[in-house]
Amino acid sequence: MAAIAPGARTEPAGGRLRSSLLTTVLLLPAAIWYVVLLVLPLLIVVVFSFGTRAKNGGYAPAFVLDNYARALSKPEPFIDSLWMSAAGTIGCLLVGLPIAYFLATRAGRRKSLLILLLVVPFWTSFLIRTYAWILILGPGVGVGTIIGSFFGQGRVDLLGTPFAVLIGLVYGYLPLMVFPLYVTLERMDRTLVEASKDLGAGRWATFRQVTLPVALPGLVTGSILVFIPMMGEYVIPQLLGLGRTYLMGNALVTDFLDARNWPNGSARAVFLIVIMLVTITLYLWFVNRGRRTREVSVL
Amino acid sequence: MAERDLDDVLRRMSQTKVNRRGFLAAAGLTGTAAALAACSPSGTSTAAPSTAPASAAPAPSTAVVETAAPSFEIEKELFMYNWAAYVSPDNMDKFKAEFGVETFTYDVYDNNEVLIAKLQGGASGYDIAAPTAEYVPGMVDEGFLQKLDLSRIPNLEYINKTFKGLWWDPTDEYQVPKDYGTTGILYMKSLISKIPQSWKEFYDMVKGEASGKTVFVDSMGDVFVFPLKMLGYSLNSVEKSELEEARKILLDVAPHLYALDSNVYGQYMKDKTTVLTLGWTGPLGQELKDEKAAGEAGYVTPSEGTLFWLDTWVMLADAPHPNAAYAWLNFIQEPEIQGVETNYNLYATPNDKAKEFVDPAILADTAVFPPDDVIAELEGAKDTSGNNQRIDIWEEFKQAVGG
Repeated sequence: MAAIAPGARTEPAGGRLRSSLLTTVLLLPAAIWYVVLLVLPLLIVVVFSFGTRAKNGGYAPAFVLDNYARALSKPEPFIDSLWMSAAGTIGCLLVGLPIAYFLATRAGRRKSLLILLLVVPFWTSFLIRTYAWILILGPGVGVGTIIGSFFGQGRVDLLGTPFAVLIGLVYGYLPLMVFPLYVTLERMDRTLVEASKDLGAGRWATFRQVTLPVALPGLVTGSILVFIPMMGEYVIPQLLGLGRTYLMGNALVTDFLDARNWPNGSARAVFLIVIMLVTITLYLWFVNRGRRTREVSVL
Repeated sequence: MAERDLDDVLRRMSQTKVNRRGFLAAAGLTGTAAALAACSPSGTSTAAPSTAPASAAPAPSTAVVETAAPSFEIEKELFMYNWAAYVSPDNMDKFKAEFGVETFTYDVYDNNEVLIAKLQGGASGYDIAAPTAEYVPGMVDEGFLQKLDLSRIPNLEYINKTFKGLWWDPTDEYQVPKDYGTTGILYMKSLISKIPQSWKEFYDMVKGEASGKTVFVDSMGDVFVFPLKMLGYSLNSVEKSELEEARKILLDVAPHLYALDSNVYGQYMKDKTTVLTLGWTGPLGQELKDEKAAGEAGYVTPSEGTLFWLDTWVMLADAPHPNAAYAWLNFIQEPEIQGVETNYNLYATPNDKAKEFVDPAILADTAVFPPDDVIAELEGAKDTSGNNQRIDIWEEFKQAVGG
């Protein structure tokens, strides 16, 4: 791992040893962090998913498959979460791509300011920002009532609808989509676009054949970044959905807090882990494929 | 290069995901309480004039100091883990002054689960907590609680017999009753044709005139009270057939609900978005205070009976300051002190003598102090969270809420 830098090959043996030792030492904190806070908790979840509920709630060691049978018999929250996350990801893409494109190509001197403005809301508590959406979507002075009044409607209450949850998801995760897209689009060679236009391609053809392929890595990264956390989202469906949408996050709360049945909750959580692994595998496959095609094109 | 950047982002992302989920679950549940606690005057009170130990000038108003077993040396600190805004800050100051306690730490939780999870996680350092009674047996089982030396809490004599010898602590050795309340129906008088007096009337109204304008609190134990009591069963029922009947009723009303919410249901009523709520009396002292004074907002305990909850004072097994804790347990049941408590937190006290010191308006308020005929119909909750049928029904109900 450490020796892949091309210069390292010519160094004397002692230097190589020292540099690999240094690499190990430098990587150690990250590795420990990674193992203790990611791998270990995931393992605990998997182990718990085979246990049983202790008498007063919690976890008691055992090896049973009941929890999985139970989780499989109630697939609705999982399926609803899949749909909602897919819709949220597409929403983030539709809103995020134009923003990222504008920032990367048209923003000019205002770029830093605009990026700052995009980040500033995230210095405020996530919970408070979500509460703010209750006002915006609610019946009082909300957008529903304002728009509805043009059509002669009374108070229009958007709260509690899947639409409200979707708005919340897109709003909450948008920056995670915008930044990867922005990074890839910013590095895009602008002369490619000019060449495409010189060769007679229209705006749409240029976008489809030049911009989009270039933006694809950012697009995939952004989609994963928003899709996976959306699968486990709890606060947004709870607050903006008024408890009328029941997603995976809500189901986990039922298992862990209402039923105090950690093994049941863990078995359900394992399905979330599986989704995460599947998406990451797809991502790695995509990255490798990208590398291979590029090598071919170089040849 | 690009791939490696992306890998890094991805890796960081997958780490935050795990942390974040834990955070979100906690944030969702404790967020509001934390926010409240931050605003409430009682949140973590410290830094009082720490110089004057009480012995110099005993407060003339009470004789508490005498009764509190003078042979024990009171520690200078007390660590309390409690619900937000549940103890009068004046009383805390008074306690500090009388017993020479310099540091009085008041941390908050908003859910019995959080308290238990913390103890199961090995949290220690707290002297006193206030779990709801049905959680006490489990906590005793797990060895979290200390058996109380009742001779050191003489003020226990003021506690009403209704609250003694109950199933959760038959010998009354592990907890001291703190406050109690009921689950019932909140209404906005002018927005409904009549005030529902029974669960049955409530049921019909939710499906009829209050359809889309009713909220249930997001609390399994409280929601089950409505169908089970309406059918004439115990609210703790784990009978298969009884629960099945309850299930049908719950699924019948679910599409008519506006929301399932335990935090802002008072606000929905204030905004006139909703007209009925299956909930607690809390909002009448907060969001709906003006409406209540105007006779518009009110609360009924349905005639078929309902649930009463009782919060209790307990001492933790590894309490680092047991003498200060005993002093507190006795101090807080001093009638005059307890009267101040009730005037502050607006929850009914099980301390009979303290009622003399409670504001007559509060004492006369049937939403706070249920009348005797209602008390006769009250039933305490058991911990039924281990019953899978209940969980299944609850989950099915939650998915059906709002249609």
